[in-house]
Amino acid sequence: MKRAALATLLAAACDPAGTSTGDRDAALPTCATPAYPVQQIRLLTRREYDASVRDLLPSLVATCATDADCDLRHQSCVADTCVADACALVTFVLPAPDGPYGSVHVAGSFNGWPATRAEGGWPMTWVASERAYVAKHAVPDGRHLYKLVIDDGVDWVADPSNAATEPDGFGENNSVLIQQCDGAAPVTGDGFDPAADFPVESRPQGYAFDNHADAGLVTSVHVGQYLDAAATIADQALARPAELLGCTPTDDACVRGWVTAFGRRAFRRPLTPAEVDRYAGYVTAQADRTTGLSVALQVMLSSPDFLYRSEVGEDVGDGTAVLTAWETATALAYLLWGTTPDDALLDAAANGDLDTPAGIEIQARRLLDDPRARGLVGTFTEQWLGIEKVSTLDRSEALFPGFTPAVRAGMRDETRTFVEHVTFDAGRTFADLFTSDVTWIGDAVAPFYDLPPPGSVAAVQVAGDPRRAGLLGQGSVLAATAHSDQTSPIRRGVFVRERLLCQDLGLPPANAGGVPDVDPTATTRERFAQHTADPFCSGCHQYIDGVGFGFEHFDPVGRWRDDDAGQPIDAAGDLNDLEGIGTRTHAPFDGLPQLGELLATSPSARRCFADQWLRFTLGRENDPADCSLDAVDDPFAQSGGSIPELLVALTQAPSFTRRTTP
Amino acid sequence: MNRRDLLKAMGALALVPAALRPSAARAAEGQARRVIFFYYPDGVAGPSQNGEPSLWHPTGGETGFSLPACSEPLEAWRDHCVWFTGLSMGGTDSGSHPGGAKKLLTASDGGNGESIDQYLSRTVGANSPWRHLYLGAGANANNPSGDKHITYFAPGQSITPEDNPRRAFQALFGSGGAVPTPSTGGGVAVDPVKRSVLDAALAELDAYRTRLGAVEQTKLSLHLDALREVERRIVGSDTSDPLTPVASCDSPSLDTGGFGDGELYDPSRFPAVLRAQIDLMVLAMACGMTRVGTIQGSQHTSELIMSRFPGSEMYDPGFDMRSHQASHYGASHDASHREFADYVKQRRWWASQFGYLLQRLADTPEGDGSMLDHSLVVLCTEVCDGNTHLHDNMPFLLAGSGGGSVRTGRHLDVGYRRHGDLWVSVGRAMGASLDRFGDASSGVVPGLLA
Repeated sequence: MKRAALATLLAAACDPAGTSTGDRDAALPTCATPAYPVQQIRLLTRREYDASVRDLLPSLVATCATDADCDLRHQSCVADTCVADACALVTFVLPAPDGPYGSVHVAGSFNGWPATRAEGGWPMTWVASERAYVAKHAVPDGRHLYKLVIDDGVDWVADPSNAATEPDGFGENNSVLIQQCDGAAPVTGDGFDPAADFPVESRPQGYAFDNHADAGLVTSVHVGQYLDAAATIADQALARPAELLGCTPTDDACVRGWVTAFGRRAFRRPLTPAEVDRYAGYVTAQADRTTGLSVALQVMLSSPDFLYRSEVGEDVGDGTAVLTAWETATALAYLLWGTTPDDALLDAAANGDLDTPAGIEIQARRLLDDPRARGLVGTFTEQWLGIEKVSTLDRSEALFPGFTPAVRAGMRDETRTFVEHVTFDAGRTFADLFTSDVTWIGDAVAPFYDLPPPGSVAAVQVAGDPRRAGLLGQGSVLAATAHSDQTSPIRRGVFVRERLLCQDLGLPPANAGGVPDVDPTATTRERFAQHTADPFCSGCHQYIDGVGFGFEHFDPVGRWRDDDAGQPIDAAGDLNDLEGIGTRTHAPFDGLPQLGELLATSPSARRCFADQWLRFTLGRENDPADCSLDAVDDPFAQSGGSIPELLVALTQAPSFTRRTTP
Repeated sequence: MNRRDLLKAMGALALVPAALRPSAARAAEGQARRVIFFYYPDGVAGPSQNGEPSLWHPTGGETGFSLPACSEPLEAWRDHCVWFTGLSMGGTDSGSHPGGAKKLLTASDGGNGESIDQYLSRTVGANSPWRHLYLGAGANANNPSGDKHITYFAPGQSITPEDNPRRAFQALFGSGGAVPTPSTGGGVAVDPVKRSVLDAALAELDAYRTRLGAVEQTKLSLHLDALREVERRIVGSDTSDPLTPVASCDSPSLDTGGFGDGELYDPSRFPAVLRAQIDLMVLAMACGMTRVGTIQGSQHTSELIMSRFPGSEMYDPGFDMRSHQASHYGASHDASHREFADYVKQRRWWASQFGYLLQRLADTPEGDGSMLDHSLVVLCTEVCDGNTHLHDNMPFLLAGSGGGSVRTGRHLDVGYRRHGDLWVSVGRAMGASLDRFGDASSGVVPGLLA
């Protein structure tokens, strides 16, 4: 056991100046009895539910021939896939319940009011399934007037699905369209998110992630949503029953075959013969087999075998249980992909390939080679750093103009892409997270970094600003740790201590005082000076402010600033007690690149990164007395801080497959 | 196909054993039919660090007291309210917002207990279509940690409210706006597929629990209760709570604001979101959907920029004044300090929102009076003074006479009592047989109940 690192973990509260003996060796626990997680079941999170349904029923999202196969008003069919429409793309719809006209087109101020299609009217297409004419067209920002024109000028009508109108000067109305897409967040994904209405996950204090095992409790709101989602999914999946089954549902063997195969995927284990009978029975009990399939599908998607992933294992008699091969496959898939195991992984479980660490490693490496692992690393990153909230943070528009949804989304995207890139493509080491001088931005973010727009909406790799090397200088982190109108050395310091060093400073005491007022004549450092002058404050703030001041060159939306209150910024700081509260060390630095260097080479920062991943893996806070962290951090350290090797090490540690019995 | 045939057709389906249920939930005479807990963050201008008196707690005796600045917006409701002096949440974590939020409804240090709203939901509210309704305004802002939420489903484990009024309305009334009629017990025509799925889901869960034996029984029993609640909602049952709707609920409608998830956390929209949630809570209760509700306005150490509330006393588009920032107003009640001046205005704003809730209840006739007469409504926050953060002399307020169970129009100086006793009192007024609640309670608050 590494004693310095353990001291870090043991530091539950701040060290009032001068009271620590600096020697905690006597209290060090031994590692004879590792505290594995208890036998548990873990409720799928919203993202896990969505991803799992998507993988179980690919026909729900993958295929379309025309826009009409998609959610017509919000999606288009692109390369056989329904994708969400961009902000600029407007969908015009004219219902025609009594049947088609000769033709319909869109005419308005945006295309010169053409009376006919030949003169440039935007043609609308008859969509029989909707009994309506539909057109999708990109419309520039601004205020536009338009009408829908029937039979090349015979009849001009206002858009019946647009309530905004104004008189057209001829006794009727024009439709009014106000487009405002500049600054809108780019639309991503395909809009398939059946868990969108599920309750938000609860995250216990000090736990950064959405998947805490104890927090996954089912309320009646959950149950209602599960039933509704299952019904919607079944409706969509059974629009084409043959595609779902690959055979005819009137054939009993076909039904049993589907139940057997789908059940194994959905429950992440083979069904027992009795279960196959039961689910096939739901199908055959109904006169209409499609209805029967719907019942069976809904029952399976509402079943605890689907909603919870099991980490119960088999009791091996020494107070522990060992996960079954199926549970191991499940743990691997949700850890590295955030979704349900694929057939190859389930086959590996069936063949006994997951019964040894070596067999688990082979599959872990295969999973890491898949694009889904990149997505999962992005998800971990956003939760670890707490940057999901960048999309909803309040920032004064008067003080920080242009911090639009597009910029916010671009900053989140930058950090996700950066960490994915470091992990899988570039140096792949922990140190690179804090020192890499490339980053990934699009045109929206570039001005915030004083960089030329790369000519792309999507994030592309650029040579970064050396003043903001690595994660610490990224807008997402800088904005997430600031106030609405001022920077926060406190939040930035606490961010480094708690998220990056796993040093828990505890709760502020009574009378801690609040944030000093913005004062145009005083720098942030001056306003916060009381924290270090007053011994009552300095017990904790000696660990916070000295780190936070190092970020002072960056404002609350991540832009560089030379001055604060008219005075040059002093970004000098001290990352004291870096390897453990009470160790009485100093590590002076000036500015973020130097702070990044300190973290990049710090054993306790590396160990904390491993700890955060282990928490995410097990769904719990780690007990400092538990050696399961050593089993992960030791190989991580020996690999030179390789992140892919850390991810493999998570699956090789005893804690991955061992659970304690009650 | 009727239910029996369906069960037969499903073969191996085991009938679910009857769960242990609390005793009858019918509200008797002299009892409250419902309770709403209304939470807001960051305390009040209580006794200051320098010893100035509280601007929340009444001065004067049990009657004839006067209301200082933070309570004054409730002057019109004083005959319907009880103010308290001397209710304490105990010393543990005193000085901390999260510590206070954990103790608030649980009366247990560290949130290590079920909260009173959950307790009441599974006892006196157990047979309602919704045992509990938890609505928030900005309560999930910025992906907060669980200590920001005040409802504890199990010891140590809070749950999250629904922040979107539109989504909450849809969950309650469905997109078609149909209301189950629990009083007729199963008289609703239920889609047979839905019925089959529901029956099977209950059987699946039962089989799963059996298979797991001793493992995760708490989690699964909460899940089973939740599933039964939904069953009751969809198909009704003989044991349904005969809550008589006090309003016509054939096609309930409500302006839920049509808020997109992005707008929910725009401070200038906050007052509209909160208002919609209050309206929805009153509607749900008027329609007999639930007996127990919690409304959580924002979250402790709130980042809510209250200076952006349109038309409010503290409106100032040129200056960001956050709730938590204002609460650290300094050692004295010094009106020349911007923080203090805004803090008082903010606290008055919250009191007036509570007043709006009371108004909505008072406006809805029920029996020989109004809904307010038959309800209990609790106003609460997680610390007393926002600057000292102390957990003594907490600014609780109880409104509504609870069907005659509470004598209102008073200011009760209780000396020193733990606030668990307030929850005991509320529980007793609701008809629960409750003698203690939380870590350190000793019984009902003396003199509170009629």
